[in-house]
Amino acid sequence: MTINKARLAVALSSLMLAGTVQAKEKLYLFNWTEYMDPEIISAFEDKYDVDVVQNYFNSNGEMFAKLNSGGASQYDIIVPSHYFVPRLIDTGLVQALNVEQLDNIDNVMEQFRDPAYDPGARYSVPYQWGTTGIVYNTETFPEAPSSWSLVFDPDVNAGYPFSVVTDGQVNLGSACAYLGKGFDCTEVDDWKEAARLLIETKGRKNFSGFTDGTPTLQQLARGVAHVGMSFNGDYLHFKEESPEAFRNLAFMIPEEGAEMWVDSMMIPVDAPHPELAHKFINFLLDAEVGAQLSNYNYYSSPNEAAEPYLDHVLTIPPVKPTDEEMSVLRFTPSLAGEKLQVFQQLWSEVQSR
Amino acid sequence: MATTSRLRRRYSSIREARHLLLTVAPGAAWIMVFLVLPSLYLMAVAFMTNGPYGLPQMPLSLESFKRLAGFGFLGWSPGNLYTLLRSLWQTIIATGLVVIVAYPIAYYITTCRAKWRPIMLLLVVVPSWTNQVIRTFGWMNLLAPGTPLSSFAESLGFIAPNMGLYPSSFAVTLGLIYNFLPFMVLPLYAAFEKLDLAQVEAAQDLYATPVRAFWYAVFPQTLAGLLAGVVLVAIPAFGMYVIPELLGGGKSLMLGNLVANQFSGGANWPLGAAGAILMLLATFIGLFAMRRIGKRLGGGEQVVI
Amino acid sequence: MRKRTLHRTLRGFWWLTLLFLYLPLAVVVLFSFNASNSAASFTGVSLRWYRRLLSNDVILSAFSNSMVLAVVSSVIALVIGCLIGYGMYRHRHRKLGWLIVLIYLPIVLPDIVFGISEMAFFVQVNRLTGLFQPGLGTMVIAHVTFQIPFVALIVYSRFVGLDPTLFEAATDLYATPAKRVLHFMLPTLKPALISAFFLSFTLSVDDFVISFFTSGPESATLPIYIWSAIKKGVSPEINAIASLMIGAVAIAAVFSMLVNRRQT
Repeated sequence: MTINKARLAVALSSLMLAGTVQAKEKLYLFNWTEYMDPEIISAFEDKYDVDVVQNYFNSNGEMFAKLNSGGASQYDIIVPSHYFVPRLIDTGLVQALNVEQLDNIDNVMEQFRDPAYDPGARYSVPYQWGTTGIVYNTETFPEAPSSWSLVFDPDVNAGYPFSVVTDGQVNLGSACAYLGKGFDCTEVDDWKEAARLLIETKGRKNFSGFTDGTPTLQQLARGVAHVGMSFNGDYLHFKEESPEAFRNLAFMIPEEGAEMWVDSMMIPVDAPHPELAHKFINFLLDAEVGAQLSNYNYYSSPNEAAEPYLDHVLTIPPVKPTDEEMSVLRFTPSLAGEKLQVFQQLWSEVQSR
Repeated sequence: MATTSRLRRRYSSIREARHLLLTVAPGAAWIMVFLVLPSLYLMAVAFMTNGPYGLPQMPLSLESFKRLAGFGFLGWSPGNLYTLLRSLWQTIIATGLVVIVAYPIAYYITTCRAKWRPIMLLLVVVPSWTNQVIRTFGWMNLLAPGTPLSSFAESLGFIAPNMGLYPSSFAVTLGLIYNFLPFMVLPLYAAFEKLDLAQVEAAQDLYATPVRAFWYAVFPQTLAGLLAGVVLVAIPAFGMYVIPELLGGGKSLMLGNLVANQFSGGANWPLGAAGAILMLLATFIGLFAMRRIGKRLGGGEQVVI
Repeated sequence: MRKRTLHRTLRGFWWLTLLFLYLPLAVVVLFSFNASNSAASFTGVSLRWYRRLLSNDVILSAFSNSMVLAVVSSVIALVIGCLIGYGMYRHRHRKLGWLIVLIYLPIVLPDIVFGISEMAFFVQVNRLTGLFQPGLGTMVIAHVTFQIPFVALIVYSRFVGLDPTLFEAATDLYATPAKRVLHFMLPTLKPALISAFFLSFTLSVDDFVISFFTSGPESATLPIYIWSAIKKGVSPEINAIASLMIGAVAIAAVFSMLVNRRQT
C-alpha cells in the first residue's frame, strides 16, 4: 500500500517535472495592434525554442496605465512612442539596456543613436518610425486641400462624418498646426486656443467620435467616416490587404505640419525575462529581420543595414516623406511636471464638454 | 445545580459563537479583505496628491476634489460638471423610459395564462444573460451609418445625412434602456402578481377614466416593485462604463468613463478615486432616499434592499 | 369592449418589445454568416468567420480562460457563500445587521468602483509583497467577491422556506454533524445549490468591467478579447464569437424552460 503510494507520488512528481521541463520560456511582448509580422515571431520562437506571448494596446496612454498597474513585472518588451519614453524612464518603469547583449546595435541609423527623448539611447532601441496624417475619401473630396482644414474647417467638410484620434497630445498638436502655431506647440495660450477649437469641432454635427489610428482606417474603408487621422504604414498595410476597399482612400500630410513619431523597444524594470528580451531586440536589429518587419508593416526602418533589403514601396511617399513634408513634420513633445498636468486638464476638458 | 446549568448555558453559548464564527467568518473575512479594504484604500487615494505621472503620492490633500469640482491650474472650468450632469440626465431619462416600457409589459404578462408567464419572463430576461459587451456590440451593428435604421432616421431628418445613429448620446440612452429593461420588468411583475384585482375592478367602476383608475388603484400597489426596479436600474446606470464608451464614441462621457479614464489612460489616480467616492455617495443617497420614500408611502418593507 | 382593445394594444406592445430585445442579437448572428466583410449589407451565407475563429489560438485561450474563471470562482463562492447562508439562518435571531450590510456591499457597489478599487489594491499589495500579480488568480478573487452574496442569499432563503422542525428531526436522526451535512443538508439544499452555481456562473461570464481591471497579460477572457477587438476595429470574426456565446445562452434558456415546464 505505502509502496504503491510512493510509486504514485514518484510518477506524479516526474510528470509534473516533465511538465515544467516541457514548458518553454516565454517572452511577453506588449505591442501596438497590427504592428508585428507573425513570421518574425515564429522565426524567433524557432531560433531560441521559446514561446512569444503577444498583448496589444491601441494608445500610449493605455500602455502606460497597464505598466503602472502591474505590467512592469509582467511584460518583457514594450513599444512606446518617443514622447512616452522620458515618462517611462522618469517613473522608473523601465530598465537600462545592456548594450553588450546587443551585437547588432551598430545597425541603428546615426540619427537614432543619441535621440533627444533618450540621451545616449541607454533605455531604448528604435523599432519603426512613421507619420500621422489625414486619411480621406477621394470620392467625397476630389479636390481636398492638403491641409488640416479638412478636419477643422466646417466650410471644407460641412456634412460628411469625420473622426480624430484618441491621443490628446496628437489632437492638440494638430489643432495647433491648423491655427498656425506649429504641431509641436507647448505654449499654454496656444494650447487653450487649440482646445477651444477641438471643443468646437467636437460639437459639429458630423463629428463621429474619437477613434484610434488603426480602427479609423476600417471605419473609412466601410464608409462609416469620410475623413480621419491615421498612420502612413497602417494605411498602406490595409490597402495592400484589401485594395478594393481602399481604392478611394488617400493619405496626406497637411502642409501646416503633422506628427512624426519613433516607436522604441524598451524593457520594463521588473521584466520576467530580461535576457530573452535583449535577444529579441537584437534579433529585430538584424539587417534582414529589420527589413522584413518594415516590408510587412510599411513603416520606415531605423535600421541602416536593412536598407538593401527594403521593398521599393518603402523608399517612396507616403512611407518615406518628401523633403517638403519632412520640413513640416515634427516630433510630439514629451511633457513633464506642470506642463503635463496643464495638458491633461485641458484634454479632459475637451473630452467632457 | 444552578451553577451547572449556567455552565452549560455558557458552554453552549461559546459553542454557538464558535459555530457562528466558523460559518460566517470565512465569507465575511473574504469580503472585508477583498472588497472593504480595497475600497478604503481607494478612498485614501482620493485624499493623496497626484504624482507627476498620475500615480498617488504623499502628502494628503483635497486637490483631487477641487479638480473634480472643476478648479485647476487654469481657473474654474465646467467640464466635470458637464460630465456629472450628463450622467444624471442619462440615468433619469433611461430609468424613466425603462419604467414606461416595463409597466405595460409586466402588466401584460400577469394577464396572460399562468402556464405562459414563466416563459414570457424568461424571454424578457434571456438577452441579459449574454455579455454586456456583446449586447452593446449588437447595437453598434444596428445603428451604424448605412444600416436600415440609420437610413430611416435620416429620411425623417432625425440625423444629418451620412451620419449613423451611433455614435451619439441617443445610442447611449437606447443602450441603457436595452441593458436595464429586465431589471425593471421582474420586480414590477412580482408586484402586479400580488395585485388585488377586486380593488382594481372597484376602482374601474369608481373612477371614470382608466388613467385615474390606474393612478389610484394600481399604482400604489405596485410602488414597492417600482422602487426596487428604480434602484436596480438607476444605480448601475449612473456608473455605466461600457455603453457610453462603445456607443457614445467618446462624445458623451459619463461619470463612469471619467473615473475609468483616470486609471486606464494613466492620467490621475487621485482624481479617479475622488470620482469613485462621488459615485458611492450618489449610490448610498439613492438607496437611502428610495427606502425613505418607500416607507413613507407604505409597503416599503418589500423593497429588495 | 374597451378592455379588449387594451389587451390587444398590450399584446402588440409585447411583440414590439420582444423585437427590441432580440433584434440586436439576431443581427449579430445573421452577420456572423455574412460572406463579405460589410456590416451594412448581407451578401451571402458563408462559414468563413467561424473557420477563422477555430484557427485563432488567442480566441481559444480566451474561451478557456472564461470557462476556468467561471467554474473555479463559482465553486469557491459556493462553498463560502453556503457557509454564510447557513450561519445567517442558524443565528437569524441574533442581531446580524453588520453582516447583512457586508453582504449587500458587493451587490450595490457600482462595477467600475469595484473594479478599480480591486486593481489599485492589488497593484499596491503587489508592489509591497509581490503577491497578487494581475492574472487569472486576481480575477478569480474579484469574481468570488461579487458571487458570495448571491449564493448566501439563495441558500439563506432556501433554509427559511424549510420547516424548522426538520432540523430537530435531523439532529435526532444523525449523530455527527458530518452525517447531518451529508444526509440532510446537502440533499435539501440541492436545488438551491444548483441555482446558486448557475447564477454565479452566469454572473462571472456576464462580467466585463471587473475582469477588465483585474486581468493580466495571459488571462484575457472572451469579453475582454471582444472588447479589444471592437476597440481595434470591428471585424466580422467578432460576430462569430458573439454568436457562439449567444448560442450558449439560448441553449441555457431552452434548458431552463424545460425545467420550468416539468415543475408546473
